[in-house]
Amino acid sequence: MNEAPCIRVVDVHKQFGPLEVLKGVSFDVHRASVVSMIGASGSGKSTLLRCINYLEVPSAGAIYIEGESLGFREDGSGRRSTRPLREINRMRRDLGVVFQQFNLWPHMTVLGNIIEAPIRVLGLPRKDALERADECLRTVRLSDKANEYPARLSGGQQQRAAIARALAMRPKVMLFDEPTSSLDPELTDEVLNVMRELARAGTTMIVVTHEMDFAREVSDRVLFLHDGLIDEEGSPEQVFTAPRSERCRQFLAKYLK
Amino acid sequence: MSETLRQSLDLELFWEYRAVLFGGLLFNAGIFACAAAAALALGLCAALLRVSLARPLRWVGTVYVELFRNAPDYVMLVWVHFVLPLLLGVALRTRIEFHPFLSAVVALGLVYSGYFAETFRAGIQSIPKGNIEAGRAVGMSERLILSRITLPQVVRRMVPEALNIFVSLFKATTIVSLIAVPDLMYRVSMVTQQEMRPLPLYTGAALTYFVVIFVVATLLRWASERWRRTVLV
Repeated sequence: MNEAPCIRVVDVHKQFGPLEVLKGVSFDVHRASVVSMIGASGSGKSTLLRCINYLEVPSAGAIYIEGESLGFREDGSGRRSTRPLREINRMRRDLGVVFQQFNLWPHMTVLGNIIEAPIRVLGLPRKDALERADECLRTVRLSDKANEYPARLSGGQQQRAAIARALAMRPKVMLFDEPTSSLDPELTDEVLNVMRELARAGTTMIVVTHEMDFAREVSDRVLFLHDGLIDEEGSPEQVFTAPRSERCRQFLAKYLK
Repeated sequence: MSETLRQSLDLELFWEYRAVLFGGLLFNAGIFACAAAAALALGLCAALLRVSLARPLRWVGTVYVELFRNAPDYVMLVWVHFVLPLLLGVALRTRIEFHPFLSAVVALGLVYSGYFAETFRAGIQSIPKGNIEAGRAVGMSERLILSRITLPQVVRRMVPEALNIFVSLFKATTIVSLIAVPDLMYRVSMVTQQEMRPLPLYTGAALTYFVVIFVVATLLRWASERWRRTVLV
């Protein structure tokens, strides 16, 4: 297990005006592993996820995707220069994002949403993009809804379509930002089941979630964030059954009842 | 009194001149089409300035929009036709004259671009931020996001408002007779001077404009509604 980590987050800070949301966060994500981030609202976990693909630009620190820095280039002598947006866009293709609010494009069908970026960004021929879409739709079990517009789908179906859209880019890592938080409880499972299958198939995933049972069952590693810092981290067993941090214990007590 | 009424409604004279008058209506349609195209293009540019991230650009956009949106059609028409060529002539050290048709298109295009700019801007700002973030997350460039995600939704949302602006613009084309563009109203006035029977001619003109605008606008509204409905947000 000595290969370079798929993603390295190094001392990331994020400041919104006078408010410091992230105060120096570092962790590695290895290939085919699942990292869950838990913590109270406002602990910085969603901001951290958004920093990983530069939807928020970190105020300080660095993100490395397979050893390559996302925000800047380093030449041989270690000099840094800011990466142009075009290159950041190219590297973002390697990170699939699933949002809390799905964010499907409402003027396109499910199929249209899925093939858009493979065609326009990757330059795939339409035929290949359709084949990919077909495969992704089967993964999320939504093949029968390919030609529906998002507004005609349930929340769970919309989120599965959004997962398919992200998968169609064949990303190296999937980032999930509270993917079930805006779903009714009875629709949560259909999304979590898809995510379980992705994890089982060896997808590298970072998941911000409030679903503690899911985090415990699927994760290889769990990070508990508090007040912009990683307050506790370890295997699910360790974090959920024997947390060293008092705050983590209190947080879990509220959630696990 | 009843004689007046009879004359107003006797459209025989209007019908007699139908070929000439229809030719005039084509001028209205031509100016409308050109000015509408210019107004849409300029309006989109101004709207993009107004939502840009650079403050000076936003400022330029705001000045542009307020300047033309608050200029009366008629004043702009006269200014563009009589003053603008003189100013350009001084600047370029030559004599410049605008063809009345060109003046009409430029003046109306500018005024209505102000309205379209506001409609575009409101549309662009109404697109949920998450839609754009989803585009960034799959590596789309800002330009691709604009052309594939933002604008297609904006256009659908602004259709009802745009149709209203189009109707106003078509009505505004009737003032071009003031700079001697031979449109329908201009020709009606000419015929009136010969025939000395203004009532049936002006009534005919009014009815013609009403029918054309009402029928075309209703058809467009009906046709666009179904297409627009795909964005059920």
